[in-house]
Amino acid sequence: MEDEHEPTCRPNGSTSTGSGDDISATNAPPPPSLLQIVQKKFKDNEKVHSIFEAYQLKNQEHANRILAVVSSLSGGTYAIISLSIVRTPIRFPTDLTCTNVFPLNESFQILVDGNKGFKSQLKFELLTGDGKPATFYYYIMKSEKESLFFDDFYAQIVSFKMSMSDRHLSPDFELSYVWLNDYRQVGEVKQELKNRESEYTVYNNYKIYCATWNVNDKSFMNSNMNLWLSCSTEPPDIYAIALQELNNSTEAVILKDTRLDPAWIRKMLDSVHPDSQYEELRSVRLVGLLLTIIVRKGLKAHISRCRINSITRGILKMMGNKGAVAISLQLNEGNICFVNSHLAAHMANVAERNQDYNIIEKDLMFDDDQRHIRDHDHIFWIGDLNYRLQIPPDIPASWLRDKNNPFEAMLIHDQLLQERVQRNCFVDYMEGDIKFCPTYKYNPGTDNYDTEKMRAPAYCDRILWKGDRIEQLAYNSVMEMRESDHKPVYAIFNVKIKTRDEKKYKRVQEEVLKAVDKRENDNQPQITVDTTVIDFGVVTFNELAIRDFTVSNNCPLPVNFQFRIKDPPLNAICEKWLKVDPHNDTLPIDTERTIRVKLLPDVRSIRGLLKKIRTTNLKFDFDTLILHVENGADKFISVTGSYQPSCFGLSMETLCRTDRPMCQYSQEDIKQLMNDVTPDYRVTMPREFFLLIDYLHKQGPKLVGTFQTDKPQLPLVGNFNLVRDWLDTWSEDPFPGDAQSAAVALLLLLKLPEQPLLEPLVGHLLESKSKAEAMEYIDILSAPKRNVFMHLCMFLRVGIECQYYELHQVASVFGRILLRSKEYTRGDFNTRCSEVMMHFIGPDIMDNPPLIGNGGGNVQVSAQFLNTS
Amino acid sequence: MAKKTYDLLFKLLLIGDSGVGKTCILFRFSDDAFTSTFISTIGIDFKIKTVELRGKKIKLQIWDTAGQERFHTITTSYYRGAMGIMLVYDITNEKSFENIVKWLRNIDEHANEDVEKMILGNKCDMSDKRVVNKERGEAIAREHGIRFMETSAKSNINIERAFCELAEAILDKTSGRESAENPERVVIDRKNNDKAPGYNKCCA
Ligand SMILES: Nc1nc2c(ncn2[C@@H]2O[C@H](COP(=O)(O)OP(=O)(O)OP(=O)(O)O)[C@@H](O)[C@H]2O)c(=O)[nH]1
Ligand SMILES: [Mg+2]
Repeated sequence: MEDEHEPTCRPNGSTSTGSGDDISATNAPPPPSLLQIVQKKFKDNEKVHSIFEAYQLKNQEHANRILAVVSSLSGGTYAIISLSIVRTPIRFPTDLTCTNVFPLNESFQILVDGNKGFKSQLKFELLTGDGKPATFYYYIMKSEKESLFFDDFYAQIVSFKMSMSDRHLSPDFELSYVWLNDYRQVGEVKQELKNRESEYTVYNNYKIYCATWNVNDKSFMNSNMNLWLSCSTEPPDIYAIALQELNNSTEAVILKDTRLDPAWIRKMLDSVHPDSQYEELRSVRLVGLLLTIIVRKGLKAHISRCRINSITRGILKMMGNKGAVAISLQLNEGNICFVNSHLAAHMANVAERNQDYNIIEKDLMFDDDQRHIRDHDHIFWIGDLNYRLQIPPDIPASWLRDKNNPFEAMLIHDQLLQERVQRNCFVDYMEGDIKFCPTYKYNPGTDNYDTEKMRAPAYCDRILWKGDRIEQLAYNSVMEMRESDHKPVYAIFNVKIKTRDEKKYKRVQEEVLKAVDKRENDNQPQITVDTTVIDFGVVTFNELAIRDFTVSNNCPLPVNFQFRIKDPPLNAICEKWLKVDPHNDTLPIDTERTIRVKLLPDVRSIRGLLKKIRTTNLKFDFDTLILHVENGADKFISVTGSYQPSCFGLSMETLCRTDRPMCQYSQEDIKQLMNDVTPDYRVTMPREFFLLIDYLHKQGPKLVGTFQTDKPQLPLVGNFNLVRDWLDTWSEDPFPGDAQSAAVALLLLLKLPEQPLLEPLVGHLLESKSKAEAMEYIDILSAPKRNVFMHLCMFLRVGIECQYYELHQVASVFGRILLRSKEYTRGDFNTRCSEVMMHFIGPDIMDNPPLIGNGGGNVQVSAQFLNTS
Repeated sequence: MAKKTYDLLFKLLLIGDSGVGKTCILFRFSDDAFTSTFISTIGIDFKIKTVELRGKKIKLQIWDTAGQERFHTITTSYYRGAMGIMLVYDITNEKSFENIVKWLRNIDEHANEDVEKMILGNKCDMSDKRVVNKERGEAIAREHGIRFMETSAKSNINIERAFCELAEAILDKTSGRESAENPERVVIDRKNNDKAPGYNKCCA
């Protein structure tokens, strides 16, 4: 399903090397190119030929990749290594990590199947061996000048792959992919640790005892094998004991017998050096070949990997009577390989022996990490290699049988030495000087050369080695062991094995962790803001205010920022009466962006603002914006100011405590008025309310069409703010609006206070059974509320009588405003609101004389209530 | 995007009144440094630090919150993801100690139920200005069944220990849940050989 994505746009975070550096770096050397940085990711003898920019899709997200085409001098092989970008801009090799390795081996494929439409989708797949194909996408445009275009990238890979498969046929080249292991699945810390390996690596001495014996298809359980296996003064650490011709029976050969013979292994364990305790690590058998690794007790804890394998080179090159068995192990940080081989027999078969060697060398591979024999630090090749002493025809055959011959004289004719000089086999291997008699062929039980077939004596049984820090201490045969037609041979080595100094390693590891953490902390994307407090000063009801602030990116990476959405119930980045623009953006390096905050203390905000004034400071935070930087920290931006209240939103009680227009009160005064609970009112009814009713009353038929809804249309535009100021200043000027705007103002004046007008009796009224009962409740309202309510009812009734508006409509609109309730949840709320209101504005209202004075329907009369007491 | 370089990731949170030293504690822990100039945190910062506990690399992502009163509501929304919370007070500031109860209540209301907590009495280097003695800190911690330590970001007292102890407490909780990570040593398989079981591992 990943594959169905089409690359539509560039993901964020380009892979550029930080163009922002250019400005400041006038004197400094130019920053390294991306190719140079990628090259530093690899070792000295590994070359990055080219880079190609692509991306992968991981869980619907773009993940940028740099594909590096790399070759290794030592391995002679090419590979594509996919690097992921830890952070941008890419300035150091550590800003990249290896995510995937694609060796350009025989199984490698790059799929750009035109039929599948890949090409048009800018998509390709890389595939090696058993792995799943990895899908990549790329852009038509390349961003780095060193980065290839896809066609060039593709052509280069194809040509490299072809050059390798050509060379593969030639035995002169040893192709190895083991160098790639360093780039497989290694994390940032591990890679760093690897780079600093020399700081914690020491070389510890280990004694390795290699032994070989062709046992001629017999079992020698009574043989005194100590003579062969405990020739060292000190007890060795590791034994590699190789036997050949363990079993030459046809069925063993055909069945490729791989069963181990516990008797043999026990016999070996009994015969090793007596001064230490030993245990078997691992054995491997193939028909006649047995290789057993025995280690000093306690050594297993230092061996972290141990693998076996074998290869058949016998009859028809398939049977197991000839071939090799091998064991690969890792001791501390050193990789060691032991090979026991039995190569083609007979004097004339030098070429076959060479071929056997070459095939074993090329094909034997350990399955855990595709490691060949050559991919070890220390290699010991043991066995009956079967190379003979081939004397020229002018020397009599009997010359070789003369025990007084110097060894050197005989060894001039040794096929193995000759072939090695010719580099036909065992290239780069070492062998110690041979200071012993030919080990083949004897009459069993004697030290006499074979008399039965009169085979020429030969140095068939050999021990060679390859690798650094190997010193041979002994190389000898054991004449006293006469059971077989071969004499056994042994060699003792001192090997300095790469080992981790745990103390130093711990210290380096700590430093690496610290450095990696520090880099992560230091590379956190960051932005600066020019202020964390946006002060709107004094704001007023329904008056738009605008402030700007600036965010800038001074850090060396492009930064994405966004304002965080706050928790429910808000579910938005800020209060509804604030607007922030933009919500999110990307800031390239050294750029800034202006953020605009708009504030409109509209009807939704009023109750909250007044409550804040009443309960907290006069100046307070309207809101706090959370400015979030992707992969970084959050900054809080306080939106602050003070609200200068208008009459809208204040309770009738509060308004009745005023004796001046609202505009003449300070916020502090209003706070006091709001918190005053005494019944000392200055007027019986708020002047603002009275003025509105008075104006509306005078509009007569113009009232037609008013009070259609309890929800005035928002935002409040037109001349509303003029009406607001007219009310807040008790203006002497003519009303600045019309009937409609006055009606809206009236509804808001009743609607905006925190409490509905008929509180605290809303519940009772909604439950009331009769008009009389309702009347009683009205009677016990606070005087300002009661007066306002009755005055409103009288006014409405006149309009109804004059048919400016319809009774039920008005009862419903005002009922819902005056009786608004959170507690009353029954479905008949609207009906009840209307019914309650009908008691007071319905046609039979005259049966119940109004509570306020004797003014009847005459609004004018009520003016007397406005006089101060 | 970065390759995983750790075994576990723990999110920790520092809370407490403004000026008690939260930012300094974090700075000491992450950068081993201290500055005496007070720049009040206006937002949420975080730093990472990888520690090794019981052979595991644990990446701590530590969030430093604004202590100022005006941000109290907003910072509670950051409690949710935290696996461990440090409540910090200042031993030279009575009010900051009294507010610990308030901060604890905030945690109860907003943090994960199983969050590990620890109280830190910071600035213990200022013994001449001390107004909250150690016993009171211990008492409130005991009362709420949580860890307590006196620290000094300035003199580097108990800073590392506090974080490691908190992380270890979280590790104790989590280790029960997830199976043991695969050990470094590789098992040598002996397909072709039938030896007694238990002989299979080379690292006995
Ligand atoms: N003597 C002393 N002073 C400290 C110590 N820790 C912090 N301070 C000082 O206390 C002041 C406040 O420290 P911060 O770490 O910024 O305080 P904070 O808790 O992060 O405050 P907010 O960010 O506002 O929540 C600074 O001036 C520090 O130098 C300490 O251990 N000893
Ligand atoms: Mg701080």
